Amino acid sequence: MDELTLLRSARSDVTDPTPQALNEARSALLTHIEDSRRPTAALATHIRRPVLRRIAYSTLGTAATAAIVTGLVMTDLVGLAGWRGGADAAAAAVLREASGMAIASSDPILQPGQYLRVDTSAVYGGAAAAEGNRQIGFLTINEGQMYIPANRDDDWVWMRGLRKPYQSFGPESEAAAQDDWNRQLAKRGTPDYQENVRAPGGTFYATSSPNLDKLDGLPTDPYRLLNYIYRITLGSGPSPDAAAFTWIADSLRGFGAKAEIRAALYEAAAMIPGVVITDSAATLNDRTGVSIGRTEPSDGLRHDIIIDARTGRLIGERAVLVDPTKKSPFPVGTSVAWTAITITVVDEAPAGGKLYGDMGLPG
Amino acid sequence: MSTDNKVIERSVGSPEDFATLFDRHAVKVHRYAARRISPQVADDIVSETFLVAFDKRATFDVTVADALPWLLGIATTLLKQHARREAVAWKGMVAEIAAGVTPDAIELAGARMDAERSVKRITTALRRLSPGDRDVVLLYAWGDLDYAGISLALGIPVGTVRSRLNRSRRLLRSALDIAIDKEIFHGRTDTATQRSI
Repeated sequence: MDELTLLRSARSDVTDPTPQALNEARSALLTHIEDSRRPTAALATHIRRPVLRRIAYSTLGTAATAAIVTGLVMTDLVGLAGWRGGADAAAAAVLREASGMAIASSDPILQPGQYLRVDTSAVYGGAAAAEGNRQIGFLTINEGQMYIPANRDDDWVWMRGLRKPYQSFGPESEAAAQDDWNRQLAKRGTPDYQENVRAPGGTFYATSSPNLDKLDGLPTDPYRLLNYIYRITLGSGPSPDAAAFTWIADSLRGFGAKAEIRAALYEAAAMIPGVVITDSAATLNDRTGVSIGRTEPSDGLRHDIIIDARTGRLIGERAVLVDPTKKSPFPVGTSVAWTAITITVVDEAPAGGKLYGDMGLPG
Repeated sequence: MSTDNKVIERSVGSPEDFATLFDRHAVKVHRYAARRISPQVADDIVSETFLVAFDKRATFDVTVADALPWLLGIATTLLKQHARREAVAWKGMVAEIAAGVTPDAIELAGARMDAERSVKRITTALRRLSPGDRDVVLLYAWGDLDYAGISLALGIPVGTVRSRLNRSRRLLRSALDIAIDKEIFHGRTDTATQRSI
C-alpha cells in the first residue's frame, strides 16, 4: 500500500453532513444572498466589487475616439454628474450646510499609542425558509467596536458581538428569530460573547487592508468626485444613482474620510438626481437628525443617510421598504437595514485577539 | 441542466440562483473538510465556504465548467484558521486507522511494520510538510481533485501542482520507510483492500 492509499483509507468513512446541518448552511446562504441586496457590512469600508464594470467599459467600443473619451472619463472631467439634474433643492441645502460644517469641524487627532474607536450598531434583515418557498423575515442587530491605531500599520482590534434578535413581525417571525438566536447561543455559550479579532493594518481574516489612504486621495472637487464615484460603481447597484448614493453613505459612515473629503461627499450627494429630505426629524439609535435619501424603484427601497444637523456629522444610514408591490418578508415601512456609528478617541484597545475569529468574516 | 459556470454567471444578476451550487457541491465540500478536521467543524466550513463563494462569485473564471475546485480552494483557505485543530484530528486518525488497516495490506507494501506506527509516521510527516505542499496532497487524496482541479483551487500552475505533489509524496513515503525501489506506484488506482470489514 502506498502513502496516498494509506491517507485515503484513513479517511474513507467520514460521516456525511446531517440534513439539519445542511439546512442550516443553506439557510445561512439564502439569508446572506438576501442581505447582499442591502447596504454592505458596516465596518468594511470600501470592499466593493464592481461586478460589471469591465463589461460596461467594453461597450465603449474600439474606435479611436473611444480612447479620447476614456481619457476624459478616467480623469473624471466627463461623466454622469451634473447634467441630469440633482437633488431636490431642500435636500441639497441640508447637504451643502452639512458640507460647510464638515469643513469647519476638525478631525480627531490621535497621539501615538491612541486609537480611534468606532462603535457600530448594525441592523440587518434575516430570513428563514418556510414551507412553500416562503421566507419569514426578522431583524437582527450586530454591535461591535473597531479600534484603529494612530499608526494605521499597527494592530487593529475588532470586538464583535453576536447577531441578536432586534425586531420580529408576528409569532412566526418571532419564533424564527428566537430559533436563530438559540442556535447562536448553543454555539457561543453566552449572549455577551464577543470575538476579539486583531490584525496589523486592519487585515482581519487575512483580507486586504481597508486602504484608508485611498479615501484621502479622492478628488475634493464635488463634481469630479461624483464622476469618479459613478465611474467606479458603474454596474454595481440597481442603478448608477443608487450605487453612487450607497457608495457615498458607506464612505461617510466609514471612519477614514478626512473633513474635506466628507465635505465633498455631502456636496456630491447633493448632485445626485432623486435625492430628497425624507424626514426632518429621523431617529436612529436614539439620535435624531435629518434624513436624506432616494427611492430606488427597482428594489422598492429608500436609502437614507441621517445627518446630525447641528454638527454635520453622519449619524447613520438605513434602507426602508417603501414599495408595497415588492415581494418581501417585511411589512412596508420597515427599516430593513440600518447602521449607526459613534466615533471617539481612546487611549487603549482591548488586549489579545487573533487574526481569525471563530465566527468568520461577515458577509 | 446548466453547468456551474452558467449558474454563477446567472447569479450575478439573479443572486438566488447561487443556491443551486450549494445543492450540487455542499456534501463534497463537507467530506473534504471532515477528512481534514472533523464533521462538526466541517459544518461551519461548508457554511462559510458558500458565503465567501457568493461574495466572490464575480471573480470566478467563467470559462471553467466545474465550480468544485474553486469551492475546495475556498474551503482550503478557511481551514487555515483551524490548523491547530487539524493537527489534533490527525492524531486521532492514528488510532482509527490502526484499527482499520488489515495486516495483509501492510504486507502488500513490503514493509513489515505495524499499522499504528505507519500511520503515526505519515501524520507526523503530514504535519511537517509546508502548508502549500500539504494543501496539494490533501486536495488530491481527500478532495479527489486531479492536477488541473488543484491548479484551479489553489491558483497555481499545473507544473507547480505536479512538483509539489511529487515532493510531498516522496516525503510521506520516506517517512513510511518504504524503500523507493520496492514501491509500486499505484496512486489513485491502488485498489487493494485496506480495511477489514
